[in-house]
Amino acid sequence: MLAIFKRDFKAYFTSPIGYIYLGSYILVLNLIFYFFNALGGSSSLSGVFSFMLLVMMFLTPILTMRVFSEEYKQKTDQLLFTSPVKLSGIVMGKYLSSLGVFVCLLVLSLLWPFTISIFGVNNMAEVAGNYIAILALGAAYIAMGVFISSLTENQVIAAVGSLGLFVALYILEQVSTLFYESGAMPVIVMRFLRFLSIFGRFDGITRGVFAVDDIVYFLSVTAVFLFLTVRGLEKRRWS
Amino acid sequence: MIEVSNLSKSYGKSRGIEDLTFSIPEGQIVGFLGPNGAGKTTTMNIITGYLSAGGGTAKIAGIDVLENPLEAKRHIGYLPEQPPLYPQMTVEEYLDFVYELKGVKSPDQQKHIDKLCKTAGLTDVYKRVIAHLSKGYRQRVGLAQALIGDPDVLILDEPTVGLDPRQIVEIRNVIKEMGKSRTIILSTHILPEVSAVCERVLVIANGRIVADDKPENLSAAVAGERNLLVRVAGAKDNIQQLLRSLDGVKSAQCLGEMETGSFDFLVESKPNIDIRKPLFSALAKAGTPILMLRPQDASLEDIFLKLTEEGK
Repeated sequence: MLAIFKRDFKAYFTSPIGYIYLGSYILVLNLIFYFFNALGGSSSLSGVFSFMLLVMMFLTPILTMRVFSEEYKQKTDQLLFTSPVKLSGIVMGKYLSSLGVFVCLLVLSLLWPFTISIFGVNNMAEVAGNYIAILALGAAYIAMGVFISSLTENQVIAAVGSLGLFVALYILEQVSTLFYESGAMPVIVMRFLRFLSIFGRFDGITRGVFAVDDIVYFLSVTAVFLFLTVRGLEKRRWS
Repeated sequence: MIEVSNLSKSYGKSRGIEDLTFSIPEGQIVGFLGPNGAGKTTTMNIITGYLSAGGGTAKIAGIDVLENPLEAKRHIGYLPEQPPLYPQMTVEEYLDFVYELKGVKSPDQQKHIDKLCKTAGLTDVYKRVIAHLSKGYRQRVGLAQALIGDPDVLILDEPTVGLDPRQIVEIRNVIKEMGKSRTIILSTHILPEVSAVCERVLVIANGRIVADDKPENLSAAVAGERNLLVRVAGAKDNIQQLLRSLDGVKSAQCLGEMETGSFDFLVESKPNIDIRKPLFSALAKAGTPILMLRPQDASLEDIFLKLTEEGK
């Protein structure tokens, strides 16, 4: 598992992918930070993080599209699957390497609270909440992306597929809110959708409302998709 | 060392392999021969645990691949048809990665890998990026990868495909050398390779084993009678008559005028009779000199075609 983690993590930075991923984030989010916090004179990072949520929908696929697709294409999956490593070990190694790159991004973004601490006062609870929320959400997103990538050997399909999934989840959220407000949807359905909703939970955490069940929710989504990935790979062997 | 019993696997409605049974003792080099799509790769993929079998079992060193895949995989070095290489890595990085991936416990990693590079002839390209290597070198990197951890069983899927003639000879020698202390399955559809390297041949066609023997026994079995190809200078009809009148000749068939003034004949003799001497004296007496005389033993190609035809 460790070998796979190390190789994959390194591979992000021996190809342009890692730089494109980190570069796009930094470019977009620093602009947002500049507008919200520097020009807006705000010391709250919630705006930037809410925006990051949107950016993540579009950039996570770049991070995860290659995870398995490229192995299939290069036939290197034959090496992985015939080596004495468990499937779950392979999936975890790969997953953690993608998550690792995302964590790098978060580490880089620590520059924001640092900058704010020079010119103003951080609301530490809010900053911590934001980081935990974005990490939890990133973990879930990456797990979904890894799963989609394990389904196809075509990177483009993997990327578009993950993007589609993220956008669909997002739209579901918006639509359900809309229906709820117009009273067209029974409360129970609404509650159910809210329960499933990724973004609803995210909002709560960023506002500083830190609930254990939200974190459990994100971890569960992550676990479910990683589990599905392992099962999917197993099924591939049987087909 | 390798026990395969009643192995089968189907892809949807088309069958991959059907009821394959064979066993390979320790230290044998076995050639897996068959036309494209016969099921060679499928069989190898199942033995190495890359695919699951639809039925039957495969055991490596007594360990069931399905029941205890991790233990079984430790015994296997596998070179798939397309070497599983990461193009953006250097040979050094790649081999180090495989070493770690396989969880090899060798006292000195660098020494182990250096030795393999020497065996596979990779020392010159050790620091180079795999994407920039020629096909022959990539194949060798693939071979080195399979050798990491000194597995007792090597499974090589068409190891010499895409190599130039000199490299083919080199790789074959490497395989022979390794075969002294290991059990090797080697798949190929290049027939001379089998006679050059293997002690035993398994011919597989349409997912079944159609022959299992030593290469030389196989050719004897199919050859049966002995055929001669003769080129004789002279008139076609006279020669044909003469050939047919000879004792021990079953048939003589004219193949046409290959060289001006001479004709080629395929002469089939009755079993266990050597007709070369009477043939020579008869033709010499008639004043029609022999320009060429060649035995037409059934080559592995013939055997292969014959067996794989029968398999259908």
